[in-house]
Order: sequence, then structure tokens, then C-alpha cells
Amino acid sequence: MSGLLPVLDAGIETLILVYFLLLNTFYFLFSILSLAGILRYRRLITFVRFGEIFRMPIVKPVSVIVPAFNEGQGIIESVRSLLALRYPVFEVIVVNDGSTDDTLARLAEAFDLKLWRAVYRKSLSSAPVRGIYRSAVQPKLVVVDKVNGGGKADALNAGLNVSRYPLFCAVDADSILESDALLKVVRPFIEDPERTIGAGGIIRLSNGCAVREGQVVRVGIPRNWIARFQVLEYLRAFLGGRLGMAMLRSTLIISGAFGIFRKDIAIACGGYRAASITEDMDLVVRMQKLMHEKKRPFRIPFIPDPICWTEAPESLRVLARQRGRWHRGLIQTLVEYRRMLFRPRYGAAGLFAMPFYALFELTGPFIECLGYALFASHVLLGQANYPFAVAFFFVAVFYGTFVSLLSILLEELSEHRYPRLRDILILTVSGVAENLFYRQYLSVVRAWSLIDYLRGKNEWGAMEKRGFAKAGRTP
Amino acid sequence: MLQTIVLFSFAYLLLLSGSLFLFILARRLLVDARERRDLRLYGEMEGELLEVLTAPDPNRAALAFARRHKPRPRVLKQLLVAYREALAGRALEPLRTIFERTIRGRCLRELRSPWLTTRLQNVRLFVDFSRPEEAAHLVNLLHDKPVVRLAALNALSGIASHDTLSVIFDLFERDPAPNFYAYSNVFNSLGQRIEPFLRMSLRRPLPPGKHALLVEMAGRLLLRGLYADIVRFALSPDKELRIRAARTLGRLAVPASRRTLLALAADPAWEVQAQAVRSLGHLRDWRAIPVLVKALFSPNWHVRYNAGHGLAAYGLVGVLQLQEVSRQKEDRFAADMAAMVLDSVVLTGGGA
Repeated sequence: MSGLLPVLDAGIETLILVYFLLLNTFYFLFSILSLAGILRYRRLITFVRFGEIFRMPIVKPVSVIVPAFNEGQGIIESVRSLLALRYPVFEVIVVNDGSTDDTLARLAEAFDLKLWRAVYRKSLSSAPVRGIYRSAVQPKLVVVDKVNGGGKADALNAGLNVSRYPLFCAVDADSILESDALLKVVRPFIEDPERTIGAGGIIRLSNGCAVREGQVVRVGIPRNWIARFQVLEYLRAFLGGRLGMAMLRSTLIISGAFGIFRKDIAIACGGYRAASITEDMDLVVRMQKLMHEKKRPFRIPFIPDPICWTEAPESLRVLARQRGRWHRGLIQTLVEYRRMLFRPRYGAAGLFAMPFYALFELTGPFIECLGYALFASHVLLGQANYPFAVAFFFVAVFYGTFVSLLSILLEELSEHRYPRLRDILILTVSGVAENLFYRQYLSVVRAWSLIDYLRGKNEWGAMEKRGFAKAGRTP
Repeated sequence: MLQTIVLFSFAYLLLLSGSLFLFILARRLLVDARERRDLRLYGEMEGELLEVLTAPDPNRAALAFARRHKPRPRVLKQLLVAYREALAGRALEPLRTIFERTIRGRCLRELRSPWLTTRLQNVRLFVDFSRPEEAAHLVNLLHDKPVVRLAALNALSGIASHDTLSVIFDLFERDPAPNFYAYSNVFNSLGQRIEPFLRMSLRRPLPPGKHALLVEMAGRLLLRGLYADIVRFALSPDKELRIRAARTLGRLAVPASRRTLLALAADPAWEVQAQAVRSLGHLRDWRAIPVLVKALFSPNWHVRYNAGHGLAAYGLVGVLQLQEVSRQKEDRFAADMAAMVLDSVVLTGGGA
């Protein structure tokens, strides 16, 4: 027994090292792929006049669906920004998902809503609809008031039922779309209408930005360090990770905050699954599954320049709630579609994307926590190899910093939104500082979410919003 | 051993991260400096360009402008593209002159570049500034990758002569995997002059998808001269073609199409019925009203919806019919639909 422990110990150490090496190598490769993708995209769109898309006669109209639950604080700003989108034909469908605050009242007052006796096809099941309203001043706005169905998926399904157009764009009520975001994200549907079934754009954080009349007018870095870490995380995730994954045809997630899909395909696979807590990932995986099973060619590109601004939590408590939910959702989706894993029938999704998410994103936090626990036990038993531990820690910090710097470079090459040199310095410092507590904290939160998942926890948890006006205070 | 590897990794990563950080900073400083310089140049050139455009002899002034600014192609390209969007017609001539005298030669050379993105960028400049004599260069690109091919088509549409139109339609007919959206955009920008070519293509045996696009374009461009050719497709065994024919007949609004549309309103496919009743609304022929009222009682939601909106298109007469249907108690679905359309008319003026 006493001989077994050192072997086990060495085995775990090797596992952690191999995991660390592989994970960071994948992130590095994704960043390099993204770099190539962004450079190519930049050249491809030179001299493209997006206004031309605006004038194209046969651009598909889009239904923008906005599920809203207790979003009274920022809903008017969000809807105004959506109504100001530059796009030939679109409608904005706000689904008031049984809010207990004054969301509906605020909408009714701001947009002069009138009850509308709408007759629609209930293609997808959802909680009962109490009423459908149209605005007397904004013909593009439709508000669906429904009983709370327990999740965003239910609200989105109700919105899909009422929607009239062949493409739909799911947008969070606490998000702001840039005015040309729809024009840009719809391009793949124009260029390759048969094969494109969905497309995603970039999500960025509005914390630290100045918002006026539903548009981000000045981009800045937030004062709050938790928000700063998240700015960098979002850059890494969207510009590094998802763009790189999309280039490998391995898109599994299009953010629920901003994604556009073909309605016929979404309805064919049953719309959003109400039982899912990350309905965005669930829908994308199911759409891919359907297309693979029907042997129909498809693509889900990721476009690096349509931008959606959203507010990030600024307290550890709310952040933990959000990340715990995301991780539970990831576990739930991977468990639900486990049959796709390692199956050539499901193409890159089954052979690469799902195994990657299962091996690294899902188990990653446990392996990290195992590493921390192992180090703590070595310290307690007086067996810690301090020079090695310190050197390894710094390797981890600088590998992470290097990947973060790559994502900053990607930002510089793609949109170049952070205007001041000081912003780059703050982001770089954040890239180093996040390794000191933030990263470990999130690993514990994500590892804990497995326990929550096994206990059957299936709730969203409230997100405390400050509203764009307050979140927009720059340092 | 492991410790040494880790230490070396640390040193390597530190160096790599430091270099990347310095690269980002240096790049940012350079880009900022270049942007500032370009912005200043742009401002200066813009002022001069405005003088060129308002000069008594703009073409002569354009030549002088081109001579002065030939060494600054990057800013010049930006300026020309920006002003191309703002100007139209004869006002574009000075821009064309400047383009020809400064960057045309380089663009033509780069059309033969092995890099797709370089070819694409340059062919896009020809979308704005092409001359008929450049058609030969652009036609060569019609065998390139789809994205370049479409840009070349766009450029050709800007210098549409009889020959280039013939090339465009020939390419469309032979294209094994046409991008219908892109072609529709090209056809749309060509306008009504495509009528004879459209007629010829409609009469040729083509796949239903291609015919469907051509039928659609006839409606969008209001080519009433093609009415007889379109009516033929109302009898097509292909459902999609019948739908397009119904839609186009509604757009063309030729009174004689009432009979065809009435026949299509009784088509076995609900999609065709739905389109036909909508188009009957566009005709505003009072003899079609009973058919539209009957369609409001269809078991299919889409047919009811379009029939409702078809009736609303008649104005007051249609609204009165809708009111009547909304008050009857025999068919709740028809009543609900009529009420919804009435609500839409009242709330949004039918504009939504």
C-alpha cells in the first residue's frame, strides 16, 4: 500500500502536466488559426460595402427575438438599440417571460403598446401566452407577454412561434447590438444560403463603456477587476477559441446573447429545449446532429466583426452563479448528446469538438482542483518540491499570459476597439493577475457545479444588473 | 530533468510573452502614427477632391489631382471608394479619371495575382470604376473562385453592354452551383435592360431553380413584356415554379392574369394557394373578392393569413369584408384571422 501511493502521486502529477500542456497547446493553436482567419477576413472585406447588403432586394428578413425576465432596468435602451439596427426588413419580438417587475409596463409606456389579436401557428410548445402587443409608434415591434415557463428556452420558443421571418436572431435583453451587426452577421446567409444554418458574432463587455441612446459610444476598460478579467476572457473565448473552432468546423456554441439561425432548421429539430440550462449550446448541437443524420451539408461560421455588447457580473457571487450555470449546462449537453462522441457520422463535431469539450472544458476544472489539492497535501506532509512548484506556477502563468496576449493581438488586428495604449497595459496586467486568485476561484466554482448537476440543480439564478447607464462608467 | 524542462519553459515563455507584448505595443504605436498621417492626408486630399468636383472643367482638374497624388495609392483608394458611394452619374467621371491615371494599372496587374484576396480587393475596385474596355479582364475572372466570380459579375454589371449581358446570362445558365442571392443582386442592378436576355433564358430548358429566379426577377423588375412567358410557368409541375409564377403575376398586376391566379388559388399545394390569394389582392379586381373571402376559411393558416392581407389590400371594400368575417361565429379560425388583420391595419397601417 505504501508503495502504491508514490506511484499514484506520480501518476496524478503526470496527468496534470499532460493536461496542462495539451490544453494550452490547443488554445495556442486555436489562437494561431484565429489569427490566420482574422487576417484573411480583413482582406476579404476590404472595399465591401455593407450598405449594399442593405439595398439588396432579396436579403432574407430577420426576426430578432429578445427574451426578457425582470429586465425593466435596461429593456427600453435595449429595444431602442434593436429598433435602430440597419437592416432592410426585420421585426423585434420581445418576450416578457412572466416578469415580476415593471418590464411590460415600461415597454407599454415607451412604445405605446396595444393589445393585438394575433393568430399564429404554435409550432413549438411553450408556457401559455397571455397577450401579444404591437406598438402604435414602432411597426417593427411585437411584445409577447407569457406565463413564466421556467427558462429562457421557453420564452425563445414562444418568440419563434410568433415570428414571421425565415431567419431569427436570438438576443439577450441586457445586450446591445451595434447598428450594423445584423448586416454583417447575415452575410454568410447571402453568400451560401443553402448550407448556412447559423452564424455567430462577437460578444464584448459593456462594463466600462459609455452607452448613449442604445449604442456604445465610447469603449473603455472597467474599473472593477472582476469585470477586467472577464473582458480578457471574452476576448480569448471569442476571438481565440470560437473563431479557431469554427475554422475547424467545430462550432458547438453560438452565444445566446447574439446568434442568428435558420428558423426552418431550428423548428425541424424541435426549437429550444426547455429542460436545457444552456439552450444556446443545446440548439447548436441538435441542429448539427440533425444535419449530419440527414446527410445535408451545412456550415455554422463565426464572424469576427459583428459586435454585441453585454453586461458582465462585477461581484464574485453573481459570477459564480453564472459560471456554475454555464458549466452545468455544458455537462448537461455533453451527457444528453453523448452518443455523438467519437462517432465519425457526426463529422468534426463528434470526432473533435465534443471530445475536446468533454476532455478539457468539462474535466479541466477537476484536474486543476486536483492539482491544487495535491500541492496542498504535499505542503501539509512536508513533501513539497518548492522550486519545482514555483517554476511550474510561473510556467502556467506565462503560458496563460502568452495566450491572453495573443487574444489582445487578435483584438488589435480585428476591431481595434480599445483606443488607448493604457487599455492594452491594463489588459496585459489583468492577464497576469487573473492567475493569482480569479482562475483558481473559477476552477473551484466550475468543479462544484458537477455536484450541483448531480444533485439535479436546474435553476438559472438571478443576475443582478446595474443597467447600461451605470455599467458605462469608465475609469 | 523535469525541473530543468520546466525552468527552460519558464524562461522561454517569459521571453515569448515579453516579445509579443512589445510587438503589440510597437505595432499599436506604428498603426496610430500611420492612421494619424493617413487621416491628415485624407483631409488634405478630400479638400482638393471637392475642388476638383466643383471646378469648371472637372476632368482637367482631375488629371492634375491624379498627377499630384499618384504616389499615395492607399489613401487615394479609400477616398475614391468613399466618394463613389456618395456620387452618381456624370459626377463620377472625375473619379474614374483619377482612378485610371493613378491605380488602374496596378489593379489590372493584381487581377492576375495568385492570392485570392488580392484579386478580390482589386476586382471590387472595378465594381466602382470599370470601363467597357476592361470587360475582357473581368470576363477572365468569371472562371475564378465563386467569391471573385461574383465580384467580377458585379463589376461587369456596372459596364453592361450587349456583350457583357450576354456573358452574364451565359454564365448563369452554365453555372453548376449558382448563388441565387448574388445573381439576383446582379440582375437587379442591371435593371430592365435585361428583358430580352431574361426572355431567352426563360424559353431555354434550365433547371427549375434557375427558372424560378428568372421568374422572380421578372416580377421584381416589373417586366410586363414577359407576361406571356411567366403565365406558362403557372402550369409547371414544379411547385416552387408555380409559387414564383403566382408571386410574379401579382407584382406585374396585369389584369388578364386574374384567371391564372384563380386557377392557382385552387392548386393542390397550399403554398401555391397562399401565394395566389396574396397576388389576387395585388390585382384589386373586385371579381376576386369572393375567392379571397372563401380562402379566409381555408384549413391552412398561411392561406388564411394571405387571404386576410390580400383583402386588406383592397382598402375599404376589403376591410368591410374582413369585418364581416370577423363577426361570424361559424368558423372561429377565420374570424380570428380577420380580426388580426384588421388589428394590424389599424395599429400599423398595414406597414409592418
